[in-house]
Amino acid sequence: MSKLDNKKFMVCCANGAGSSLMMKMTLQKVLDKNGIKPASIHHCALSEGKSAAINQDIVFCARNFKNTFADAEKKGVTVIGLKNIMSAPEMEQALKDADLLD
Amino acid sequence: MKGILSKIVERGHYKFVDHVDTWQEAVKLSTDTLVETGYCDADYYDQIVKCIEKYGPYVVFEHYVAMPHSQEGVTGVHKTSVGFMRVKDIVSFGKDEAGEEKEAKLFFTLASENPDEHLSNIQSLMAVFMNEPLLDALMEANTPEDILAAEDKYYTEEF
Repeated sequence: MSKLDNKKFMVCCANGAGSSLMMKMTLQKVLDKNGIKPASIHHCALSEGKSAAINQDIVFCARNFKNTFADAEKKGVTVIGLKNIMSAPEMEQALKDADLLD
Repeated sequence: MKGILSKIVERGHYKFVDHVDTWQEAVKLSTDTLVETGYCDADYYDQIVKCIEKYGPYVVFEHYVAMPHSQEGVTGVHKTSVGFMRVKDIVSFGKDEAGEEKEAKLFFTLASENPDEHLSNIQSLMAVFMNEPLLDALMEANTPEDILAAEDKYYTEEF
């Protein structure tokens, strides 16, 4: 059983139409590789994500948008800003750094 | 293997340019073929430019790849496709918030009207964006035949 099983994930980009879908695919790849079954993976635009973040466990975004989620982060949501949204190794390492993945 | 690049060539959604002065002009040029074929309206590029001005150059990825696009439910997009443009000289989008210079030579501009086709395009594009030998070949492309040859030689759905 992984710490990430049954967690609620959100991937967020400016428009919710392009890079968030790519981030979702990257995340799916990382979760599959590690045999993790998430409760949900929601993808959306920043405008929606800003208020929705508080109901999530882990939020991914491009690193320049990380500050958008400062409030959610203060309330215990894990917020991860990525340099390369398409890099599965970077995402995996970030989850390890957050002590969410062995 | 036949993938997104073949589709781009079949639809005539490609353009080869030597130099552009600004990223705004590059974004406009990258939508030209989509406008000419009725996939989007002439002012679609303006919405993309406004988005990038508002949020920063987050549409520029590694290895000189840019994916200009606007929101879901945007106005003025009639059909789903990807407009490809290769620029010889580097186009600068300025620095992102981490101070990293964002530069592009390959443009993959998204027009999205049909969510399913859009998702499949994004999936294929991701396989292209992670494939450095393919990107290198595309940066050297001068004709649609070059695009097809690059796809043939390097494209794979695994990434």
